[in-house]
Amino acid sequence: MAGLWLATLLIAPLLGSRILTLGDLLSGDATVGTIFWSLRVPRVLLAMLAGGALAMSGLALQTLFRNPLAEPYTLGIAGGAALGAVLALQIDGLGQALGFPAVAVASFLGAVVVSAVILGLAMSGYTRETSTLLLAGIAISLSCSALVLFVQYLADFTKTFRMVRWMMGGLSVVGYGEVLWLLPWTVLGLVTLLLLRWDLNLLLTGEELAVSRGVDLKRLRLGVLGVASAMVGALVAVTGPIGFVGLIVPHILRRWVGPDHLFLIPACLLGGGAFLAICDLGARTVLAPAELPVGVLTALLGGPFFLWLLIAGRR
Amino acid sequence: MKEGVLLAAQGIGWEADGHPILADLDLEVLTGECLAVVGPNGAGKTTLLRLLVGLLEPSSGSLSWENSAYTDLTRRELAQRIAYVPQSHPLRIPLTVEQMVLLGRYPYLSALRVAPREGDYRAVARALELAGIEELRRRPLAELSGGERQSVYIASALAQEAELMVLDEPTTHLDPLHQREIASLLGRLNQQAGLSVVVATHDLNFASLLADRILALRNGTAVACETPAEMLSASRLEEVFGAPFSVVRGGERPLTLLEWGS
Repeated sequence: MAGLWLATLLIAPLLGSRILTLGDLLSGDATVGTIFWSLRVPRVLLAMLAGGALAMSGLALQTLFRNPLAEPYTLGIAGGAALGAVLALQIDGLGQALGFPAVAVASFLGAVVVSAVILGLAMSGYTRETSTLLLAGIAISLSCSALVLFVQYLADFTKTFRMVRWMMGGLSVVGYGEVLWLLPWTVLGLVTLLLLRWDLNLLLTGEELAVSRGVDLKRLRLGVLGVASAMVGALVAVTGPIGFVGLIVPHILRRWVGPDHLFLIPACLLGGGAFLAICDLGARTVLAPAELPVGVLTALLGGPFFLWLLIAGRR
Repeated sequence: MKEGVLLAAQGIGWEADGHPILADLDLEVLTGECLAVVGPNGAGKTTLLRLLVGLLEPSSGSLSWENSAYTDLTRRELAQRIAYVPQSHPLRIPLTVEQMVLLGRYPYLSALRVAPREGDYRAVARALELAGIEELRRRPLAELSGGERQSVYIASALAQEAELMVLDEPTTHLDPLHQREIASLLGRLNQQAGLSVVVATHDLNFASLLADRILALRNGTAVACETPAEMLSASRLEEVFGAPFSVVRGGERPLTLLEWGS
């Protein structure tokens, strides 16, 4: 896994609509340098962080809810982010805030609001069952989608197109601002989840047994939901909602790595990152010089591959 | 009667949304004893067990372990003293037998250590040996039969190295042969390994053969807590279950039979 990750990190920036060689890089050509260091490298790094964060969140949520269909967007965090983004796109001329485009800031705020609601529910006594929390997330998600459609309906054609394009997700960045923004959130998620690895392992045996052995369920929910929302909120704000990675990558890795979260969590960080970076490489080369939205490619590549795994695993 | 009180419950009760499920119950669990809990469905057996292992907090009354109140013990400290085998487990636990048993060490594990300690692995090996399932250690749990799985759950609780094991209907859903295996495993643990056991069961003969004392519950209150010879009489069982029983074999550990027909 680490080898695949490293290979992707080293090779992916060289490939694209124009293939760069080491010779090109060393030639001192300013254009080549700009393409490589300001466009390709940050883009690959962002893909690796975002893919890793999505896969780690998906893994933790699947374990917490003991539901294979749970994924980073189930909790409505992406819905909140999308609502923030379309509102910002609808209200023109918001400009920039803190060096980030208004759309990113608004979508992060949307994600924060939804996360606060989910965390509040997790803390309150109303959701004794973890599955209730999952349903609450789905309800919030659906409400946000309805509001997004409502805003789109009011918007003119150009704005609607930009909204739809945002919701397909994308990784085009210039420079390292987004990478540096996402890095601390991903590290926070990695460390927190690793500290909770025994709790997550024990949760595989059922909530009742886990609690009887000393798992603090409230603290565990808070930890998992907290870091998952933080990572997903932070990444959706800069990449838009990229589907499929958070749902499928943990399932694939569970088959290869086994159920122990001590290995699964880092495997998701590396595997999710490599998967998204490779998909993004495909997205920017298949129709070069045009680019496919990367979310389209993650589903196109991941779907059949996962189906194959399911069928092959039955034999 | 063996000496030493491990666990004492004083006047404990539990209510769900204002409905009393269990009321004003006094109970002592003694060192090394096997206590069976019987009673009709809804009598409050599972609620009592969940209170004893600290999964529920009593609405009234208090619980203590040796001389410490439950409220003074952390969940992990309690789990180092009392191990619980719940009635049901998730359908598919994606672990191997060894991984499942190692998770019994949770109350002793530290999040900051990468690997469990040597002592944890020794406890796992001992638990597998006591439960007699060493040959299953590398098998995935999902591939095992219901009876084998129940042995694994018990082994996992054994790895907790607690003094008391609380089991909720461990033989339900098992065929007669596996029922006997679980019964003899619990008997061995109780008599040879000195483990104290509290077990809720619907199987009166299982309770009779295994238990030092039987606690009978009905409608959330204790009817009696006495030896198998005292409890398993036709009149007492009629009082507890509201159904006619006949004693087919008397003595210290009577065997009883539910009478059919009206």
